[in-house]
Amino acid sequence: MTRVVALYNIKGGVGKTSAAVNLAWTAAEQGARVLLWDLDPQGAASYLLRIKPKVRGGGAKLVRGTSDPSALLKGSDHERLDLLPADFSYRNMDLALDATKRPMRALQRVIAPLAGEYDYVFLDCPPAISLASESVFAAADVLLVPLIPTPLSVRTFEQLTRFVAAEVAMPRPRILAFFSMADGRKALHRSIMGELAASNDGAVLEAAIPAATDVERMALECRPLADFAPRGRASRAYGALWDELQPRL
Amino acid sequence: MDARGIQLLLSDGLSAAGAADRLSALVPVVTQRAHSVDRTFWDTFDGRLHKAGLALAAVGGRLVLMDAASHAEQAGAELPRGTRRLLLDDLPAGALRERLAPLVEMRALTPIARVRSRLLAINVLDELGKTVVRLRAEEPAALPGGDATLALRPRLHVVGVRGYDADFDRVLALLTVDVGLRQAPRPVLDDAVDALGAAVGGTSSKLRIALTPQERADSAAVTILRRLLGVIEANLPGTLADVDSEFLHDLRVAVRRSRALQRELRGVFAPEPLRVFRDGFRELQVLTGPTRDLDVQLLEFGELAAGLGEGTAADVAPLRLLLEQRLVAERQKMVRGLRSERTAALLDNWRDFLDGLVEAPQDDRPDAARPVAVAAERIGKVYRRMVKMGRAIEDDSPHEALHDLRKKGKELRYLLEFFASLYPDEVIKPMVSTLKGLQDVLGRFQDREVQADLLRALGDDIAAMEGGAAALMAMGVLVERLTEQQEQARAEFAASFERFAAKPQRRIVADVFG
Repeated sequence: MTRVVALYNIKGGVGKTSAAVNLAWTAAEQGARVLLWDLDPQGAASYLLRIKPKVRGGGAKLVRGTSDPSALLKGSDHERLDLLPADFSYRNMDLALDATKRPMRALQRVIAPLAGEYDYVFLDCPPAISLASESVFAAADVLLVPLIPTPLSVRTFEQLTRFVAAEVAMPRPRILAFFSMADGRKALHRSIMGELAASNDGAVLEAAIPAATDVERMALECRPLADFAPRGRASRAYGALWDELQPRL
Repeated sequence: MDARGIQLLLSDGLSAAGAADRLSALVPVVTQRAHSVDRTFWDTFDGRLHKAGLALAAVGGRLVLMDAASHAEQAGAELPRGTRRLLLDDLPAGALRERLAPLVEMRALTPIARVRSRLLAINVLDELGKTVVRLRAEEPAALPGGDATLALRPRLHVVGVRGYDADFDRVLALLTVDVGLRQAPRPVLDDAVDALGAAVGGTSSKLRIALTPQERADSAAVTILRRLLGVIEANLPGTLADVDSEFLHDLRVAVRRSRALQRELRGVFAPEPLRVFRDGFRELQVLTGPTRDLDVQLLEFGELAAGLGEGTAADVAPLRLLLEQRLVAERQKMVRGLRSERTAALLDNWRDFLDGLVEAPQDDRPDAARPVAVAAERIGKVYRRMVKMGRAIEDDSPHEALHDLRKKGKELRYLLEFFASLYPDEVIKPMVSTLKGLQDVLGRFQDREVQADLLRALGDDIAAMEGGAAALMAMGVLVERLTEQQEQARAEFAASFERFAAKPQRRIVADVFG
């Protein structure tokens, strides 16, 4: 059965795209068939896989159901990882969704015909809470939230958890978080990670992604970490994150 | 994940490295380090994956299902350890099992060839440095066992990347037109299976016989019966080793078909040897019957028990255990019989008898030299008889009336199979199709009765087992369900018979078979 994992956070710049690309690649490396949908109009995930951020017909046709999503897929450099690329028109995704029937189910409708081909579908979502993100909530089995270990980040995570519990219709996605850009030299990071680890009910995963130069270098290399720095700290951390996440999907 | 793919032969002294060099002069490529890989390919005995254009390879502890032509991976899973036989239930839940399930069904996957290949990966890049076409130069060798290797034709796999079709076409044109490579006539796996002396595409139990109308009836009988004997012999080792339940099924079908032909064309055989062989084949049928009945019961057990709901489904565990114990005991008896001198002599003598039949004197073989087409006309007689029998069946007719019609239907089915090649497809196909529909209903009607009877007969034994009381109650529900299903089949009889006996169908039979 296909599992849909949405990399999501209300905040930007927290490591969603890096996680989406590296986790998708790691899953493919381990033998799974994986689709990554780059929903962010900035197209960073597409860029990291060297695929042009362009979708024929744009986002509106896609969510209206007048484009065949399987004809828009691009194979990545990994033979088991395909990408549904970003498109600049995704910036107007809310407008496009608003014009469809049952907009909450629109992304689910796009994924449904592709699902049989893949073991996992990763959604790299743009930041913010919007109609598009609510459609993501309806499509995803799991919301995977990268969390920088700072008080504001933690507060945003709590907001998200409350919002999903209160506003999202059943079946709701499970919310799991992991620490991203964690810096063990900072006392604040260490303290927040320790506190959350002690108090959370398993919603925050143990594997943490360190703040590492390798992650920034991805944009120069245009490759996932496992492809150019497989033994680096960050790459190993994504591996550990996938090992921890996968059995919970 | 679907990707286009084609295999080109590397020939005329062009090595994998040479091909990479030639190509790098034409398009930007990145060549990876060559490496060796050992793959063991698996398929069912009847080559179900081959027929679907797929290949299943065990590589480094993983099972990978791929398109046979492009080698593009479609699904994968961990290879269960230490086994030379895989049933669906042996595979971990997931995409691979789901993909294989409708193809493989109850058949076991077994290794069919081991291939060692030296592989060189060459990726064609676009202006962003992204891979747009994958090339895999392969120098394969089949491994027959021991240290021996059988070199196979080297080839270049050209595998498209999804969404980059234009690049695939461009690179393929370069390779075929500019470099002059030609398409490989068949996949590496087929070359390997052939080199290892096995049947490419597996061993089919289908009849597939071409007769001509003027052919002597005894010669046609020999052609059909030799093929059936081949099927029996091909399925015997798998039956003895209990590789999967289909070996015994196919063996029994071939025995039953042989018996049907012995009966239908009895005038082409001398009476006395025929009597001996008919007795021998009947014994084979009887010998293998109980094991097959229990196989069927266990194959359908999961579905039947699942319908009981979670709590009650667990209660029938003692029944399953008892069926399995019975199966073990019956199998032992059957295997002893099949391994006996008597069975070996029967099959040997039958082959010798068939070899000499056409040359044998015709004094006591009145139909030997008649054209086979005359014998085939019996199709019309059996069809009309079935129409008459079916019309006489009312809602309150005894079960036997439906059972007898089913038996007649089997005879018609065999005749159609034996003589199909004498008639156009448009005559045979609709007849087979409506007959199959009718036989499915009649088969279900009878099978449910047999299954219910078997369950009833096990009652005392189950009651004596641990957890027997709960099992007995669950069995009561099962018997009730089987009876309902039997009634359902009976309700469907009229409609399926109407299709079988429809006027246009009757007219075709009258026109063609007289």
